[in-house]
Amino acid sequence: MTAKSVEEIVLEIKDKSELMIDLAYSSILYDNKTIAKEVYDLEDLIDKLYKDLQRQTLENVKKSKLSVNDALSVLRLAEATEQIADAAQDIVDVELRDVELHPILKISIRESDVVFTRVKVEPNSVLCGKKLGEIKLGSEIGMYVRAIRHGDFWHYGPDKNTIINAEDILYARGPEDGEKHLIDIASGKTDKI
Amino acid sequence: MSNKNKLGIFGRLQRTRKEKWKKEEFSEIEYEPKPVKDILTEMKDISELIIDLAYSAVLFNNEEIAEEVKYLDVQMDKLNYDIRIMAMMAARTKEDAEQLAGILQVAEAAESIANAARDIVNLLSNDEKTGPILPKILKQADEQLFRVKVSNKSKACNKKIGDLKIETESGMRIIAIRRGECWIYNPQSDASIQGDDWLIVRGTFEGHKELNKFLQGEMEVLE
Repeated sequence: MTAKSVEEIVLEIKDKSELMIDLAYSSILYDNKTIAKEVYDLEDLIDKLYKDLQRQTLENVKKSKLSVNDALSVLRLAEATEQIADAAQDIVDVELRDVELHPILKISIRESDVVFTRVKVEPNSVLCGKKLGEIKLGSEIGMYVRAIRHGDFWHYGPDKNTIINAEDILYARGPEDGEKHLIDIASGKTDKI
Repeated sequence: MSNKNKLGIFGRLQRTRKEKWKKEEFSEIEYEPKPVKDILTEMKDISELIIDLAYSAVLFNNEEIAEEVKYLDVQMDKLNYDIRIMAMMAARTKEDAEQLAGILQVAEAAESIANAARDIVNLLSNDEKTGPILPKILKQADEQLFRVKVSNKSKACNKKIGDLKIETESGMRIIAIRRGECWIYNPQSDASIQGDDWLIVRGTFEGHKELNKFLQGEMEVLE
């Protein structure tokens, strides 16, 4: 396996940290411990990536591929991003603790500008058998799919090649209007995306 | 982007004064009862916006956006202080306290996200001398940040964001609008778009292409 470049690692940490925040707020909204545990796993992954990044960056400096200033910038950005991931983990701690969530937590997350939604894909929906990259929910209706559950199997941070199947549960982030549209598409009420 | 009963930190046209955050930071905090729910919603909104703003500041090497990040970080500290007080006053039993502790933990996490965002914009300060490496890296992300200018010919001019349905039609979320010297951060659905505005938007490359055509007046409607 070829080692990932410094750029690739930074981007992966950034993407994953944003996914973690989305998942963390969703875990509270849906009182879902499975999502919360995934945030923990992602945090482990980020820790590992961060260590790889530190090593790679130093090696690049040694080989004069990267200036000291650039290396510092990269490491500092990654450090801040790592803090964001830690914050996501703190949020899911609340969900994983054996205390019933205060109802205000859910309401606050529900009332914010960006909503999270959970929809089930019915067998007659146009989404069935399509790749995420094909249907472009993001650019068409503003909804970004952040996780997919199929039975007991979870797919976090799906990409454009991920296929949606009937009975999948989609967890998506987006504006309120987009949410209604996504529900209509997933339930097969409309075919228009 | 609906108009809910918000605390009103966002959505106003404002001038980013130099060192606006400093003035805020040292101003006295006055106690004013606010619902815990409203404070927490605001904190969550800021926690998401501030990350996008921080990356935008680095990507576009923009000091004004960096200033707003610092200002929002100070606001976040205040909200965190308010929510602690409100939560303490609300606790009557051990069960109350346990549940409220959860709320405070989420609030604390939102605040540490704001701190991280501030660390990111601190990379722009002069003594750090950040090279072009960070913008180069950020340009490669899947969901990116873009700057688009609104042409006077565009049908978007003088229309409200909510009526244009920009977010649901193009998937591009407007993070901020720049109008001359002024900014609207996190514009709400009732904010209008005007010719010569600059928008900072977040979304996919395809969504950006489409929105750009619409805002240049090359496309009549977004669909």
